[in-house]
Amino acid sequence: MSTKLLLVEDNELNRDMLTRRLLRKGFEVLIAEDGLEALEQMRQHQPDVVLMDLNLPVLSGWEACKIAANDPDLAHIPMLALTAHALEQELAKALDAGCKDYATKPIDFPVLLEKIAGLLNP
Amino acid sequence: MSSASTATALSTQRIVELSELLQDSLASLDNADLLEESTLLARSLSALETNNTQTLSRHDLLNHYTSACGYAEILLEELGNTTQEALQHGLTELVAAIRELSATPEAVAKASPSYKSEPRNANVGSILVVDDQNDNRAVLKRLLSRVGHTVYTADSGEAALEHLNSQSIDVVLLDLSMPGMGGKTALTKIKADPKLRSIPVIVISGHKELDSVIECITAGADDYLFKPFNSVLLHARIAAGLERKQWHDREVNYLHQLEQREKFIRATFGRYLTDEIVADILEKPEGLRLGGDLKEVTILMADIRGFTQLCSQMPPEQVVSLLNGYLGTMTEIIMRHNGTIDEFLGDAILAVFGAPKDDPNHAQSAVACSIEMQKAVAAVNRQHQTSALPQISTGIAINTGTVVAGNIGSDRRAKYGFVGTPMNVTSRIEDLCEANEILISETTMQALPNTDQLRDKGTHSLKGLGAPVRVFGVEWQH
Repeated sequence: MSTKLLLVEDNELNRDMLTRRLLRKGFEVLIAEDGLEALEQMRQHQPDVVLMDLNLPVLSGWEACKIAANDPDLAHIPMLALTAHALEQELAKALDAGCKDYATKPIDFPVLLEKIAGLLNP
Repeated sequence: MSSASTATALSTQRIVELSELLQDSLASLDNADLLEESTLLARSLSALETNNTQTLSRHDLLNHYTSACGYAEILLEELGNTTQEALQHGLTELVAAIRELSATPEAVAKASPSYKSEPRNANVGSILVVDDQNDNRAVLKRLLSRVGHTVYTADSGEAALEHLNSQSIDVVLLDLSMPGMGGKTALTKIKADPKLRSIPVIVISGHKELDSVIECITAGADDYLFKPFNSVLLHARIAAGLERKQWHDREVNYLHQLEQREKFIRATFGRYLTDEIVADILEKPEGLRLGGDLKEVTILMADIRGFTQLCSQMPPEQVVSLLNGYLGTMTEIIMRHNGTIDEFLGDAILAVFGAPKDDPNHAQSAVACSIEMQKAVAAVNRQHQTSALPQISTGIAINTGTVVAGNIGSDRRAKYGFVGTPMNVTSRIEDLCEANEILISETTMQALPNTDQLRDKGTHSLKGLGAPVRVFGVEWQH
């Protein structure tokens, strides 16, 4: 059975691009466009890893991560923050919110794959 | 501008450039498997046109960068080592530029709203791109056209030379390895041609061809670029080449103008002045200012007796030919005696001795000159006899006095000329002259070291002049 990823990204271009890249690598890819939808998908499909953009409408990525990290049903799902900025405070915020790791945009794909692998086999 | 933000502006500019370039290559990409990805990349890239990068928010801009980067990487993975070299270079560079730009967060922040369209160099010209590869030509053409250059392309050395001979080219971008006539041969030919030599040639080569580049520089290449080229470097080199060419053109143009002008001055003045005087005036341009000096000179006036009547008996072309022959001969003699021809008035010649070039013996020179002139007329007449032309005779009047000599006229039209009563007196004495006669005034007589040849011709009241004038005839026939 293939690894199930949830990609949370509001930007269509990036979402589509990243989805395609991940599909090409043999992942199953679920999609959410905002934080709220992300939480719903997590509950419904129990993905293996969540790739979470932090700047999201409705419910931001940080909020969604915090909620997920404190939800007993979801806390076990590793989350990886996708952030535009290499700023340390942003990263710290993401890690505080419960993300296990992060990747900065534009995504270095091989690095992202490594990090996903790291989250799957800690 | 800090170096960080300069780098930001450059990479932003580069991304926009690459985006535009890649869209073309993507549209022509013939690979069905990558059709979707290339279409999507093209869509992301189209969002990165110059205008959009200025209006997009930082967040949106970064998203476009990210997706373009991702699609570019997908394509790169799939293209592998195919023949799409230009596309691969472009994609690789795009990915690198986006990564570089994104590495500094504040760079992204600054890049988007404050980003202005790339600094266009006002300095544009005609560039000839010589490369056998279609892709390379297209990429270069697009890059250079974007900043306003007029771009011509040639796919071989032969075609390049043809272009250079038929069009005015400012800079040549020359690929080294081409089938047929290679870059090196073309370069040698360009630099051996005096008409083309001055056109800057920028050699394009792969990194491994360093030896060839060195050879080319030795052979006269002005600059070089390695493939894949960095557009910033390309533009910089082109701009430098253009500047070189423009300085050269300006210099050539200036020299040409100078030469024309000097030629004109020499030709114009040379008709009236001896070469020596022309050279003198050209060397001392302050001599050309308007205004003059009082100078003692000797004035010589010669005209053909009864010329008007002669004219009415001859066809006009014969009149002109006769006059030109006569004036030509007289001019030569006057110049030989350091005289300055002030004017030709029909058949009359007005010459001055002692100005602009000083000649302490101006009276003597003028008299000697007049004798030679009369003798020459005799020779001319002998010639006329054989060619059935009428006989002519000349009267010559000579007067010495102080005149204003200098550049007379307006700024627009001035000539070296002479003004003063002695000029008028000469003209009046001329009226007294008989055929073949030389009459000199008393003042001239007094200036001569030797008066043996003179015969007193009496004192005459001359029209328009107060005091009567005493004249002497010069015996020249014996």
